Amino acid sequence: MLDEPYRWIEAINDRRDYVEDQLRPGSPVVGLNYDEGMLLLTVGGGQRKIFEVHNRTALSAIGHPAYIEQLRMLATDTASVQGFQNSVDDVTLHRLANFVLGPAIKQAFESIFGGAPIIKMLLAELGTLGRENQFISISYDGTVVTNRHAQLIGGTDAIEEAMNQYLAASNSDGGTLDSAARLALETWAVGRDLSLQENDESDPNEADASPADTAQIHDVLKKELKEGQIEAAVLDATRRGNSKFRLLQPEEFENLTADWL
Amino acid sequence: MSHKGDFLTLLKSQNCHIQLGAEDLNSGSLPLSASGDAVNHQLEVAEGTTVIAVRYQDGILIAGDRRATAGTSVMYDRAEKVLSIDEYSVLAISGSPAIAYEMARVLEHSFQYFRRSQLQELSVEGKLRMLSRLIRENLPMALQGIGGVIPIFALYDLNHQEDENGGKIYFYDALGAHFENAAFAVSGSGSVWIRGILRYVDRWEGGPLAEMDLQQATRTVLRLLDTASEYDVATSGYNPKSRIFPTAKTITREGIHDLPEQQLDEIYTEFVDVDYA
Repeated sequence: MLDEPYRWIEAINDRRDYVEDQLRPGSPVVGLNYDEGMLLLTVGGGQRKIFEVHNRTALSAIGHPAYIEQLRMLATDTASVQGFQNSVDDVTLHRLANFVLGPAIKQAFESIFGGAPIIKMLLAELGTLGRENQFISISYDGTVVTNRHAQLIGGTDAIEEAMNQYLAASNSDGGTLDSAARLALETWAVGRDLSLQENDESDPNEADASPADTAQIHDVLKKELKEGQIEAAVLDATRRGNSKFRLLQPEEFENLTADWL
Repeated sequence: MSHKGDFLTLLKSQNCHIQLGAEDLNSGSLPLSASGDAVNHQLEVAEGTTVIAVRYQDGILIAGDRRATAGTSVMYDRAEKVLSIDEYSVLAISGSPAIAYEMARVLEHSFQYFRRSQLQELSVEGKLRMLSRLIRENLPMALQGIGGVIPIFALYDLNHQEDENGGKIYFYDALGAHFENAAFAVSGSGSVWIRGILRYVDRWEGGPLAEMDLQQATRTVLRLLDTASEYDVATSGYNPKSRIFPTAKTITREGIHDLPEQQLDEIYTEFVDVDYA
């Protein structure tokens, strides 16, 4: 089969369809800068999705929990050993994403006799030593995309596009943690709304990707937060010590939803 | 892939070996002399320093002098011997600096790796055993008389429920056994001059240490370091010419805090560097 190149391409395309189908219902993750650091936020059903990788690096993902765990450990092990062998300053997200995670995911995706990597990752690195904050997303085929201001991952390209439109229409940089968390939550709801619509429609392309209004967003959040819980973490530049990662506690979200939930 | 949160196993799996004499210990052999015979020295641990930890009313105050020596030479007068390991743990080192600093680094990375990989903090008992393991694996170096490390490990246990003070002090022997001391611990060559004084203060005069506030505890510790420097050449006192103060940290419910030089200066001026009548 593999000696015929078009068969290989066909197999890859089938694989792409399969992985995208699996990722479609995934709960999006939004990454934003705020005045004292970086925020990663999602809404989940209890399974943790946002993790500390190293002193200034955090990771989140959607996909199959086994793949998330496998790649989380690969990132954590690699960063820990590099940080010990050389210096913690030598652990950079650029190296981690482009030299370790990206190639590993690409290789798994293209090894068509092995399991497909059902995963999309969003990583954040708090800048230091002249490096700026940066978000990096890695898709299931190993594609690495970098953004210094904001980044998100959702179940499909259409969902990500709608969320990006909503973010672009808002001022997403430089606000307080509260305002960044509010915007991240609303952006998440835009993606979730579209994801639910796609699941209802027979043809996912027919889903309405027009920007949602605030009332609609709050309706989605009211429904989703009955079952789900907000999960968020920050890389806090003001935090004492080397490790800047901190999971936010539920009471820190109360302000965000108090006026409409 | 899974190392169950054990950083040392992870390092070994990546062919990254730390030099704490572990290989010799694992093979069950003692270090060899030049003639190839096994050496069986009396345990001689080089420990030119003084470090001290006391449990005061808010937690732990831990301090150390700044001098590093080689034989009778002063090599360095700004050595840091009181090292933060994580948000609530501090290691005060005495002994071979090369091994001690590496031990502190391994310990710091081990605690972080456990938290990051297992998604929970390592327990107090787990932290103590990790340090025990490092000291035990360093036994061949300690036996050669060139790499011994006898640290004090102090931390604040947030899960401590019995009273409001979760500060805990542990000291170790060269084989890695750890012991908790409720009131204080001292280590290093200058410690012999002040251990008895600490007990005296804690029991009869000025104590108990556990009821002292930070000002009283700092005053006591600085006076004791000054006393140690008077009798032990490997311990430095306050150096007014170059304004070098001992390192002092507190570990409380709020975490680790470095006592600023200005605060140490004020206490020195008022309570330590007093003229004889």
